Parts: sequence; structure tokens; C-alpha cells
Amino acid sequence: MTAVLSLRDYTLDYLTGSRPLRVLQDISLDIAPGEVLGLVGESGSGKSTLAWAIMRHLPKNARELSGSIRLGDTDLRSLPPRELTRIRGRRIGMVFQDPSTALNPTLTVGRQVTETLVTNRGLTRRAAWDLALELLGHVELRNPEALMRRYPHEISGGEKQRILIATAFGCRPELIVFDEPTTALDVITGARILDLFARLRAETGVAALYISHDLALVSRVADRVAVMKKGRLVEEAPAASIFARPAHEETRKLVAAVPRPENRLVHDRPGERVLLAAEAVSVRYARPRLFRPPPPPATHAVGFDIKAGEILGIVGESGSGKSSIARALTGLADFSGGIRFDGRPIASARDMDGAYRRAVQIVFQHPDGSLNPRQTVGEILSRPLKLFGTGQANLSAEIGRLLEQVRLPAAYATRWPHQLSGGEKQRVAIARAFAAKPSLVICDEITAPLDVSVQASIIELLLSLRAETGAAYLFITHDINLIRQIAHRIAVMRRGELVDLLPIDAVDADHVHPYTRDLMAASPTPVG
Amino acid sequence: MTDLLRRLMRTPQGAIGLILLAVLAAACLFGPWLAPHDPEKMDFLGRFRPLGAQNWFGADQFGRDVLSRLLVGARSTLPMALAATLLGTVAGAVVGTASAYLGGRWDEAIMRTIDAVMAVPGLLLALLLVSTLGNGAGNAMIAIAVTFAPGMARVTRAVALTVRGQDYVKSATVRGERASWIIFREMLPNVMAPVVIEATIRVSFAVMLFATLSFLGLGAQPPASEWGLMVAEARQYVHQAPWILIAPSLAIAMTAIAFNLLGDGLRDAMNPRDER
Repeated sequence: MTAVLSLRDYTLDYLTGSRPLRVLQDISLDIAPGEVLGLVGESGSGKSTLAWAIMRHLPKNARELSGSIRLGDTDLRSLPPRELTRIRGRRIGMVFQDPSTALNPTLTVGRQVTETLVTNRGLTRRAAWDLALELLGHVELRNPEALMRRYPHEISGGEKQRILIATAFGCRPELIVFDEPTTALDVITGARILDLFARLRAETGVAALYISHDLALVSRVADRVAVMKKGRLVEEAPAASIFARPAHEETRKLVAAVPRPENRLVHDRPGERVLLAAEAVSVRYARPRLFRPPPPPATHAVGFDIKAGEILGIVGESGSGKSSIARALTGLADFSGGIRFDGRPIASARDMDGAYRRAVQIVFQHPDGSLNPRQTVGEILSRPLKLFGTGQANLSAEIGRLLEQVRLPAAYATRWPHQLSGGEKQRVAIARAFAAKPSLVICDEITAPLDVSVQASIIELLLSLRAETGAAYLFITHDINLIRQIAHRIAVMRRGELVDLLPIDAVDADHVHPYTRDLMAASPTPVG
Repeated sequence: MTDLLRRLMRTPQGAIGLILLAVLAAACLFGPWLAPHDPEKMDFLGRFRPLGAQNWFGADQFGRDVLSRLLVGARSTLPMALAATLLGTVAGAVVGTASAYLGGRWDEAIMRTIDAVMAVPGLLLALLLVSTLGNGAGNAMIAIAVTFAPGMARVTRAVALTVRGQDYVKSATVRGERASWIIFREMLPNVMAPVVIEATIRVSFAVMLFATLSFLGLGAQPPASEWGLMVAEARQYVHQAPWILIAPSLAIAMTAIAFNLLGDGLRDAMNPRDER
């Protein structure tokens, strides 16, 4: 049987400034009809570039040095642009990572789905509309008729991704490329998307290339898995066996970095002293206006406490109000209710004085956004040092010490944020938080944009910083396996309410909230 | 900076703009030495002398050499236009960024005031200001700066609003930084790119507005050889000696084109996504 997709010795360079950068080196792979090939690797290993090379949508500075890409018996590399437009969507579909940017915000969902069907399947508008209704119903979207008349901002991320998947399958392509389709979604929505993917695949028998850095997920959806490292394919094996018996060092490294709940990384018990207590904190974003009822609050009267040196995990699906809590505690959002810090009451952001600001630090999710691109690492780190004590005299020595503390060379003080990798940037953000010698650090999804091996090293760093400084962590995440490794207690949030607050060894107990049980069940079982 | 210059030279607009600007800069710096004659020396035998070997761009109604007047006049025209734009841009950028940072009622109040000021046409506002402040090049410069500031403030605010949502600004707020630090050190450096481009385009407007004010007799005063004033004085002799009018008009047009091209070139050169 001929392969649907076949790459032979494909090599690609990017021309950057001084010298060409090898991105893909001698890639050879085949995908048989109806087969799903999983592609894993660290970020920067060339996974997405490979996907774009297959879609024939490469940036201007890409130079293909050798090799062939064949779809069935068509040589994609030799096709002119006009022919390629007829291949894309019709013979190869693609589903992107972030559903929120994949739909045009100015057109209704129905218009976008039908348009795709009209161009790729040659249907009439009427027939396309009917087919779209059928497709959307088929991916378990309730009331597709109403959904089709809405604009993308009026529906949730999970719904958008379902629509995109339905459209990709609806065009009946031979191959669909999935580029991390569930990374931007929370655990439960992601799990539902995967079930849907498995069902549609069984029904249509389409071949797929599934790119992800989540090994557990890939081993669930793929028949075979290929591992990439620095532009090379280093290992290729059936999904059932690759992670259980990894042959290549890179695969072993990836498997070792996967968090496992039973492998606890924190063994001590927190102190008894309550460091921070939130009492009925509710966050509202918009003020009530004339003639308009106020929007519902982002969180309803959430109360919890954090003990000195404790790691408290907050989990829940996106939009459950996890980040709103972090914003209230740092004074970024107005809240009602009260906070008690070290016994001192704090009623609003105005009461947060220098001592509170020093003691409570936050690390944000996206390291690209949290470091000012126009300041060097040294300048970024010098600010909290100047604000919160330590004389001017030994500033550069202090910066060096901070960088060393987060395992970065002291010479990084003169670098700009854009010269660092994602993991390094996150280390700088952590160093900035610890410059103030805080007693509580709020970590808002700080590992979410990083791949598994970088994530593991960041967690290791946080734990060793905690051992050195005794800081408590409020760890917001949607990675259940990760939080079960490190947290002392877990708070589960849903729709702005705290549904459960459990010690870590009680999360599997019988008396937990049904939602907590769902959440635990939806998190993928670790591989290996 | 050298990298920016290199990228700028690679686009045709940027290269032409830079070359024209180099010519203008040379006129500003070395004009009096380059000028073949004394710009104010009258020659009654040579009134309205057409273009030729003696006077390359001809002579005006008093027999003064037009080329010399242009070269010397560059000094009183271009720095004024640049200074006015710079003043207006800085004021506008600070107000716009502050407005975006403060948000809420303050933002509303500042922006509505700016809307009110912008409702008055630019030239009219400048005329109003000059007639209040009194005639003269310095006052004309201030008037032009005030006319430019509201527009710059709006452009800056739009960019600053997106910067304000960035985590590094939030991080500074959480750290308890003062508003002045956040506005000047965290936000302003990140809104500068579009503001600089907008400013280069506005330099050409400033040249023309300045020329207009001088033309109306409110800017530079005779016998200064400011370009706008030269156009104004030459107006009545347009049938006898059109070159007296055309030469300064062309100089003004060239300046406007140079800065516009530079603005276009900068827009491409400062876009990091543009990998050329």
C-alpha cells in the first residue's frame, strides 16, 4: 500500500543574519492510510516547521536543500502556488494550536464553515449550510443552528476547536496535520476533544500527523510515534512500546521529565502559622453602569488560607476564576471581602503597603510578556533590589547572586530578554520575584507554555529556592499530575467557586466533590 | 542603531529619503559657506535675472541670488520644523501614555479634552496661538507644537493601551512602582517605534505649516530667507519671474517628500517581522 504522506531526506535551513541555521536534517517518514503518526520533541526541535513544510507555507528566509515531500503520488515541492491552494484544505487539512486566533473574528461561525465547504467540496451554499449543521451536531455541539449564527468571541475555546476539527474532517482530506490542538485548552475540554478525535478518525479513516509535547496524550491518540531532536528524527516506534522501552537517550529524557503524581517531590510539612488568609474574596471586573446590570463576579466569596512555607495548588478549568484570585491577592483587581496577611487585615488594594508588596510576589504565565523587552536582564532585576532594600553599592554583585540562584550565568545581566529561551526568561522572572525576599510567591500557570523537560527543571528550581528561603507558593495550574507531585493541599475551583480544599493525600478519597473526581479522571495517565 | 540604518538603506524609500535628508542636512550645516553670493546683497542691475551662470536659480526682485537665499534659509526653516515636531511629539507621547496608564475617568477626561482641541482645524489653531503670543519664528514653533500634540497623544494612547495590558507593566504595579516610573521607564520605551514613524511624517507637515504661517506674515519676518516667507514675497512677481516662486516651493516639497519617505522606510525597517 502506498503511503499517504512520504518525506525522503528532507533538509531545510533558515537564513538568519550571519549564517544559515539548520532546522530540519534528513527527515524521512511515512504515514500509511488511516494511520496517526505522533510527533514529539522539545520546543525548538523543528516539529512545527515540519508541519509548515508539509503545508508548503514556509517563511521567505527558508531554504530547502534536498529531499522530497509526496502526498500520495503528488510531489508537493514541485507544485506551483496555484495548484497548492487546491491541495490545502481539500487534500491536507490543518488544525492549529490556538483556536481563538484560527477563526476570523468579523465573520459568523456559520459563514466560515460553509465557505470552507463551498471552496473545498464544491457544494452549493444551501448544501454546505446543511452539511455544516450536520458536522457541528456530529462533534457534540449543542444547538448547532444557533451556534452557526454567532461570532467567534461569543463561543468558548473548546467549542471553537470542535468547530475547526469538524471543518477539517468535513472537507474529507487524505491527511490532517494537528499542531498541539489541545495545548491551549484545559484538561477536561482537552480530554473531550481527544475522545472526539478518536471517534472521527475511526469513522473517516483519515491519516493524521499529530504534533504535541505531551507524551501521555500522544501515546493515547497515535499508532506510531516519532521523536525529534534539533531537527533530526531520532527514534520512531509503535506508540504502545516507545515510551515503555525508549531506545534513544532523547526519548528517555522526555519520559523522565513527565510528572507522575506518585513521585512526590516535597516531603516536609508546612508550618502551623497562617501566612495569608483570604476571607470571602470576590472579584468583579466591570463596574455596574447606568441601564446595564453588573456582570456576574469572576469569583464568588472564595476563602482559603496559606501556611508559612506551604505549597497550595489551585486547579480548575479555564475561566474558573483561578487567575482572578491571583490578581486580587496582588491588588491588580478590585475585590470585596478581606485578606489577612500575617494577622494584618487588608481590605483593598490601597492597604497593600511596601511590606505587603515585598512579601507577596507573582510570576506570570508568559515569560515573553512579563519581561520588558527594552530593559536588560540586569535592569529588570535591579528594580526590586532598589525598591526593597539592599544598598546601591553592591547592586551588580546582588544581581550576579540572583542569577546564580536561578542557575543562570552572571554574564546574563547584560543580555536582552529576546536573546533568552523561554525557560531562561522564566528563570529571570523567578529571580525578579525572589529579589524581594518574599514569603509568598504566586505562580500563575508558570509552566504551561514550557515543554516537559524545561518544566521539570523549573519545578526543581522552585523547590530548591523554597528550601533556601522558606517561601510559600500559591501554585495555579491545570496540570493535575504536576500539582500532585508538589502541593501540600489542593484547592479546586469551578465557575468562580471553591468546590474543594483537600490535603494532597485525600484527592482520591470518596468524599470529594464530583467535579474534583472528574478533573482527576480527565488528567492523562503518565506514560512509561 | 547601525543595524537599523542598514535595514533602512535596503528599502528604496528609506535609501532615497536618507540621501535627500543628507542633502538638506548639508544645506543646514554648511549653507552660508556653500552659498555663492551674500543672500542679502542687492543688485539693482540684476533684478529678475533669469537662471544662468551668474545666478544659478535666478535672482529676485531686489537682485538677490535665489540659490544663496535658499541655502542660507535652510537654517531657519528645517531646525524650526524639527524642533516643533519634537516638542509636539514628546508632549503628545507623554500625555497619551499617561492617559492610557491612568485609565478610567482620567483617561476619559484627557481624551475628551484632546477631542475638543482637535475639533479646531490645525492651521486655525496655530493662527490663533500666534496672534495671541505675537509674531515671530519662536512663537510659530510653539504654536505648531501645540497643534501637533493632540494627534500624537491619540496615536500614542492607542499603542500604550496594548502595552498597559502586558505582564511587565502589571509586574511593576504589583511591585509598588510609582506612576512616573511605570509611564517613563516601562511603557514609553515600548510605544516609541510607531511614535517615531508618525513623527517623521509630521515633520513635513511642520515644514508646510511653518511656511504657511510665514507666508501669512505671522512666522519669520523679512528680510529673513525662510522658505515660506520667500514664497510669500515672490507671489506678486509670478508672471515676471516664476523661478523666484518655484525654487523655494520645490525646496519645501523636497523636504516633505524626504521625511515622508524616511517615515515609510522606518516603518518597514522597525518591523521585526520583516526579515529582509
